[in-house]
Amino acid sequence: MAHYKIMGQDPYWMNFYGLMILTLMEILAVGTDLGPAANSLGTEEKVLTLWILTIIAIPKFIMIAAIFMHLYGDEDSGILTMTALFPAFFILIMVLFVGLTHPNAASGLPDWCRPGNYGL
Amino acid sequence: MSYDDPHHPSPWGPHDWKHGSPHNSWAPFILSMGVAIFLFTLAGAFKWGEFQGWGKVPLIFVGLGVVGFGLLIWWRQDISFGVNGEVFEPKAAGAPFQNIDIRKVAMWVFLMSEMMVFTSLFSTYMRYRFGIASCQTVFESGEWVEGAAVICFEPASHLIASSWFHIAPGAINTFALIISSFTIVQALRYAKMRDIDEDVRRRKITRYLGTTWFLAILFLTMKMIEWFLGFPLPEFLHEFNHGDSTINSLYTEGYLINADHYQHHEYDTHYLESNGHGLDHDSDLYAMMEAGTHPGGHMMANIQVSATTFYVTTGTHGAHVFGGIIGLSYMTLKAARGGYTPDNAVSIEYFGLYWHFVDLVWVLVFPFFYLY
Repeated sequence: MAHYKIMGQDPYWMNFYGLMILTLMEILAVGTDLGPAANSLGTEEKVLTLWILTIIAIPKFIMIAAIFMHLYGDEDSGILTMTALFPAFFILIMVLFVGLTHPNAASGLPDWCRPGNYGL
Repeated sequence: MSYDDPHHPSPWGPHDWKHGSPHNSWAPFILSMGVAIFLFTLAGAFKWGEFQGWGKVPLIFVGLGVVGFGLLIWWRQDISFGVNGEVFEPKAAGAPFQNIDIRKVAMWVFLMSEMMVFTSLFSTYMRYRFGIASCQTVFESGEWVEGAAVICFEPASHLIASSWFHIAPGAINTFALIISSFTIVQALRYAKMRDIDEDVRRRKITRYLGTTWFLAILFLTMKMIEWFLGFPLPEFLHEFNHGDSTINSLYTEGYLINADHYQHHEYDTHYLESNGHGLDHDSDLYAMMEAGTHPGGHMMANIQVSATTFYVTTGTHGAHVFGGIIGLSYMTLKAARGGYTPDNAVSIEYFGLYWHFVDLVWVLVFPFFYLY
């Protein structure tokens, strides 16, 4: 259990309040007309919404992992955080090399990296 | 080697925890085999969302039975943990986890594998989302003719985030999971309190675990409403829903994994003209219709890829919630019988780690699948 306080208050309650506020902000970001703001930034409304949602999701993710899952403030927090981050390398590979490639990449690859054409 | 040797107990259990944690067990192998049989036969029972007959159904239950058998062995081994009221929480001896509870480390390793599962689902979604033109883009490009389906990506958010009413089930679920993450932490807090009356502790833990259970049930109920049922609106709200009296489910809207003739009113030039929205004047379709080279009409789309990525990802998450409900049912009953003390409160902590992980995944699923 947590042996610290956030702004002098119970960390779980503070975390809970913070998460509720961030979630409310997410829903408002989707419900609000961001068209004019997106135009002034030279982008589409959906892209701006995605950025806002991503920016809000990051602190939410950290707040749940750090405080509710005790990856902050406990004796074993350090090594367990490292454990939790261990798959990060594989996650990066999946997101960058699978998630962001084109579905037709396999057929669009140059000859030398297709099966049977390894230049041997 | 004899199974009577307490240092090398039976892999079928139960174990003698006084001699350390068990590290020989058939349970993981049997469980894996059961899950494999279950998933292969379940997948084989459906083709493009259509039920393929009862032929493979018995095998599905065989898979479930093997899973149950594996769980039983695991249970039998783990139940010896608390025999005669004794509590043993073995610590890891080797680097880098020295002196950390073995079960806690195991839970984190399990969560790591879960991260990989959801990452594969997310990367699949990203690949198709960015790699296939959205239906809106295809519609405005004019590269379609009425009556022939075009392959395009239709995000579920187009339906879900179209109004406050449509987004309500997902939004309620988001709050439900965050509140449930908090209630399980509170259950753990009271379970670990030593300077508290036993009966007060029992009631507090039961109340908080029960609330978590209720919120998990609410989550799946909302999901069912969103996917299959929809919901009616009171009359005074009809005007805020284009005069419609109901909020349709995704099923009713035709957002299905086998949807190869999907139609949406926003991809209908006649609807857009008659409802005053009109076509985007900067679009190619508008220019083509003005020039008389495109007759307009109602675009038909094949959205199987987009619907599949949505249902598989949110369904996998929902399955995790269901698994949590099973665990919570047992734990709530145990708490009601006064089964938790500060000495065995770690069980709540380890389940809590799983439950927070389910919440973490939803933190990403909700914005990227429901709102964007």
